[in-house]
Amino acid sequence: MPNDMNIERSRAGQQAQTVRVKPKWHMTVLHIVYYLIMICFLIFYMLPFWGTVMTSFKTNSEVMTTTPITPPTQWTLEGYASAMEELGVPLLTSLFVTLFGAAGSVFLGSICAYALSKWKFKFNNVFFIALVAATYLPFQAILIPLLQTISALDLYDNIWGLVLVHTVFGMPMCTVMMRGYYADIPDALIRQAMIDGNGMWAIYRKIVLPNTMIATITVFVFQCTSIWNEMLFALVLGGYDSKPATIALNELAGTMAAEFNVQMAGSLILALPVLVLYIFMGKYLISGQMSGAVTAS
Amino acid sequence: MASITIKDMSVSYNKGKSFVLDNLSLDIKNGEFCVFLGPSGCGKSTAMHCIAGLLHPMSGEIRFGEEVMTSANRKGRDKTFVPPQERNIAMVFQEYALYPNMTVRENMSFALKTKKVAKEEIAKRVDYMAKMLSIEQLMDRRPAELSGGQRQRVALGRALVRDPQVFLLDEPLGNLDAKLRDQVRYELKKIQEQLGITTIYVTHDQTEAMTMADHIVLLKDGHIMQQGTPEEMYDHPANEFVAGFLGTPQINIFFCEVKGNILDAGSFKLNIPEHLRTCLVPYAGKKINLGIRPSDLELAKDKMDVIKGHVESIEPLGDAYLIYVRVGEQIVVFKYTGEHAPKEKELLLTPNMAKLHLFDALTEKRINR
Repeated sequence: MPNDMNIERSRAGQQAQTVRVKPKWHMTVLHIVYYLIMICFLIFYMLPFWGTVMTSFKTNSEVMTTTPITPPTQWTLEGYASAMEELGVPLLTSLFVTLFGAAGSVFLGSICAYALSKWKFKFNNVFFIALVAATYLPFQAILIPLLQTISALDLYDNIWGLVLVHTVFGMPMCTVMMRGYYADIPDALIRQAMIDGNGMWAIYRKIVLPNTMIATITVFVFQCTSIWNEMLFALVLGGYDSKPATIALNELAGTMAAEFNVQMAGSLILALPVLVLYIFMGKYLISGQMSGAVTAS
Repeated sequence: MASITIKDMSVSYNKGKSFVLDNLSLDIKNGEFCVFLGPSGCGKSTAMHCIAGLLHPMSGEIRFGEEVMTSANRKGRDKTFVPPQERNIAMVFQEYALYPNMTVRENMSFALKTKKVAKEEIAKRVDYMAKMLSIEQLMDRRPAELSGGQRQRVALGRALVRDPQVFLLDEPLGNLDAKLRDQVRYELKKIQEQLGITTIYVTHDQTEAMTMADHIVLLKDGHIMQQGTPEEMYDHPANEFVAGFLGTPQINIFFCEVKGNILDAGSFKLNIPEHLRTCLVPYAGKKINLGIRPSDLELAKDKMDVIKGHVESIEPLGDAYLIYVRVGEQIVVFKYTGEHAPKEKELLLTPNMAKLHLFDALTEKRINR
C-alpha cells in the first residue's frame, strides 16, 4: 500500500512538473514583436555579406544582369581566380607584416607590461600614463613626421618599414592590455622565483610568460586583426614593392571597373584569415579576456 | 647553516617620515628556530623580507655568519647588498607561491636547476625530500590538482630540497585548517631539528610561537618588545603587552593601589607576598597593574587573599573549563582543571602568589623580577 502511494505521488509530481503556465496573450505578441525586430536586424546586417558571397560566385555578365542578392544561376570561381592574380603577392606581404608586426609589438608590450606591473622604479606611473596616452594618439596627426622619419631611415616602400611602424604603434596597446593580465600574477610568485635564484629576465622567461600564455595569445590575435585590416600606414609608407592586401583590394576596385565579382571575391579572401583566426582561437580569446576580469586565486 | 645578526636596522616606506622597523638589533644563533611574533602591522614580515633581500632597509646591517648581506647608511643608500638569488636562502610564503605551470617535481627541482646542479643529484634530493614529506605520489601533479595541505608540503619540500643556509617561513600555516596545522607544525619542527637549518618563522599565532620556537622575538610597531625562550617570555613578560600577547586565554589585568603591605584592587585586597615587597617599595601609595594568568587562579581553600566573583558563563574545553567570573566591574577568566565545573554561582578564587605579574601603571614595564 505505501508503495502504491509513492507511485501515485511520483506521477502527480511528474504531472506537476510538466504543467506549463499558459502565457498571457499580450506576452506572446510581445515575443513575436521582439523576434521580428531581431530578424529585421539580422537581415539588415547579413544582407551585404550575403550579396558579397553571391556576387563573388557569379560570372561578370551575370553580375550585370542580376541583383547582388540573387544566387548565381551558374556557380563559378573565375572571380576568385582573377582576384588571386592581383592579391597573391600583397597577401603574402600582409601575412609577413602582420606576423612580424604583431610578434614584435606583443613581445615589446609584454616586456614593458612586466616591468611596469612587477618592478618598482622611478617614474613607473609616468611611463604607464605616457603609454596609455599613446594609445589615444590619432595616427593622422603624426603621419608627416612619421613619413619623414621612415624616409630618413631608408625604409620607405620597404616591408620592414611597415613591420617597424606596426611594432612601435602596436606596443602601447599591447602594454596596456598585458599589464592588466600581469597584475593578476601574485607578487609572491615573483619573490619566490627571485629566492630560487632567478634574475629579472629569467623570471619573465620561466614564470611570467608560461603562466600568461592565454593572455599573450589574446593580445597577439588582437594585434594580428588590427594590422591585417590596417590601411593608413600601408597607403602612406608602402609603395609598389611593399603593398599589403588592403591596398591591393582598394586598387582592385579602382582599376577593374564594374568587375564586382572579382572585387567581392577579393574582399572575402581578405576577410577569410581573420574569420578563421576568430573561429579557431575563439575559446582562447574568451578565456583570455575573462582571465583579466577577476583576481587570480 | 649560518647565524644571523641584525644591527640597528630601520625600514621606512615614506622616506623616514615614519618607520615600520626602528633600530632593530637581533642575534639569531646557528641552527636556531626563531619566531617573529606580533600583531598585524608590527613589522615582522618586513624584517623577514629584509633578511631575504626582498626589501632594502633604510639603515642598518644584516650578516649571515661573518658575511655582510645588507649594509645601508642613513640616507637609504646601500653600501653592500647581496641580491636574494645569491643569499642561499629558502623561503615559504603564506600563499605557497607554487609555480602553476610546473608539476610538483618541476617545482621542487626549479631552484636546483637554476643553480645548475647535476640531474642525478637533483633527482636524488627531490626524491629524498618527497619521501620525507610523504608526497611521492603527487610528483606528477600540478599545484591546481593539490589540496591546501599538499600544496603546503610541496612548498616546504621545495624550500628544504635546496639545503639553504637560512630557512624563512612567512606564516606558512595560515591557510590550513586547525587539524592539519597541528600536524604540519609538528612535522616542520621535527624536520628543522633533523636538518639543523637556522630558521626564521613569522606568525601572529602565539600558540605556534610557543610550541615551535627556540627563540621568540615579539614585535610591536616596529620595536622589539621582548625576546627570549618561550618559557622566559611566558613566565617573565617584560611588559604588559607581552603578558597579554602570550597565553590563551589572555592574562587578567587588575588596576591596584599599593597600600602598605596590601594590594588594593577595589573589589578585592591581596597581601603582598614577601618576595614582592622590596620591588614595590618605590610604588608605595601609587597605582600598579597586577597580572594573573587564568591558569594561576584556583578555588580558595580559606579566606586569605581571596577574589570574590559571580559566575557569568562556563566554557567546557574537554580537559578543563574556562569560567568567566564578574569581579566588581571586571570580567575575569579562570581556567579550572577539575573534573566537574563548580555549580556555585558565587566563587572565591585565590591566585598563585608565586606567579603574580606586576607592571608599572604608566610605563607598563614589569616591576617584579
